[in-house]
Amino acid sequence: MVKFGIEFMPREPYWKIIYYAIQAEKGGFSNLWITDHFNNRNVYVTLTAAAIYTNKITFGPGVTNPYLVNPVFTAQAIVTLNELAPERVVLGMGAGDKTTLESIGVEMQKPLNAIQEAVEIFRKITSGESVVYKGEVFKTAGAKFSFKPKGRIPVYIGAQGPKMLELAGKIGDGVLINASHPKDVEYAINCVKEGISQARKKLQEVDIAAYPSFSVHEDLKKATKAAIPVVSSIVAGSPSQVLERHGIDSKKADEIREALKANDWGRAFGAVTPEMIEAFSVCGTPDTCIERIAGLLKFGISQFVVGSPIGLNVREAIGLVSDKIIPHFRV
Amino acid sequence: MDYRRLVEAIPVVKREPLSNKLIDLVLSSKNDEKMPSQLANTILLHWQNDILITESGLTALLEAAVLLELDKTIEVFTQLELAGFAEQIKEAAAKT
Repeated sequence: MVKFGIEFMPREPYWKIIYYAIQAEKGGFSNLWITDHFNNRNVYVTLTAAAIYTNKITFGPGVTNPYLVNPVFTAQAIVTLNELAPERVVLGMGAGDKTTLESIGVEMQKPLNAIQEAVEIFRKITSGESVVYKGEVFKTAGAKFSFKPKGRIPVYIGAQGPKMLELAGKIGDGVLINASHPKDVEYAINCVKEGISQARKKLQEVDIAAYPSFSVHEDLKKATKAAIPVVSSIVAGSPSQVLERHGIDSKKADEIREALKANDWGRAFGAVTPEMIEAFSVCGTPDTCIERIAGLLKFGISQFVVGSPIGLNVREAIGLVSDKIIPHFRV
Repeated sequence: MDYRRLVEAIPVVKREPLSNKLIDLVLSSKNDEKMPSQLANTILLHWQNDILITESGLTALLEAAVLLELDKTIEVFTQLELAGFAEQIKEAAAKT
């Protein structure tokens, strides 16, 4: 049976995010993902509050990156959270967003190496080992916690490109596929399966999650209105081969990219087309969303993550997912 | 204002719709900075334990709604045909 996860960006104050997290838990969601961007509120403080005010939902950063926070510090935060909420914590890690990293002068150096090495360091140090590691990106010289970390924490890899998807299948306990269109999800899952097969794991050992931008409302126009800002960012960050796959004019994408860089929201959002919304979000009425999710399930996803913006009114949208969408997949 | 005393006088049948409208008001408010963290934590604790419509939960919600959106809170009470309470909130606000 497919699990439902939900993503929040801590742009809003903690008490709003945590209100929604409690609502999601009550409404049948099994996973809570909090994004990690330096310009929003801190992911671990938000997760700590989530640990305190929820009772059973599984949660973690969705996703953090190894460039801004060294993997040993990520491990420290995660194992401490796991003491607060045992067996409910997971780590979501990805290479990050190039534009955001560049804005603070950090180079996205060798992303495949960075992720593989960060995960290895994370697993070693969280199992209590003293870590001597000489990677291409990360080096440690006997790093060890002065306390005994408890339990094995599942690692999910956020991925979009073919090589990262393959790596995610190979080394991850889960994969967060940053895609919403059936074409992209099918392609991504084939890459993940290749990695799983290389690692000689069983498909069921890896939680494969589709992590799309999502917006639901009983009124399609309102669902679309909420989706546009997020879709504009996705278009701006998408590699040219992804845009080509959906027949999206790269000049249109350049226009959005430039407008976003110039903080010209009106121009950026105005350039978003219905084709972009279709390609980069699951958006619409509850029935439309059910149809789109069902279409993704046939490719073998085991978790569907309701990603930002969720809806024009977040409380109402969580209610719609809980009351109309999740029950549809429980029958 | 003695929010608890005001809440105690609200008819039980009106408490659930009132709680729903107040929470919407608080969550959609742009005046986030007016929310004291202690009060936010009280609301979250009541929500976690499904007791937001009890007198203590509603008291916390009402206090938050008045702090963040006074005019809209008065409107909510009027819409729910609790005009007497709306008047009390307006008078108390005028004194502060």
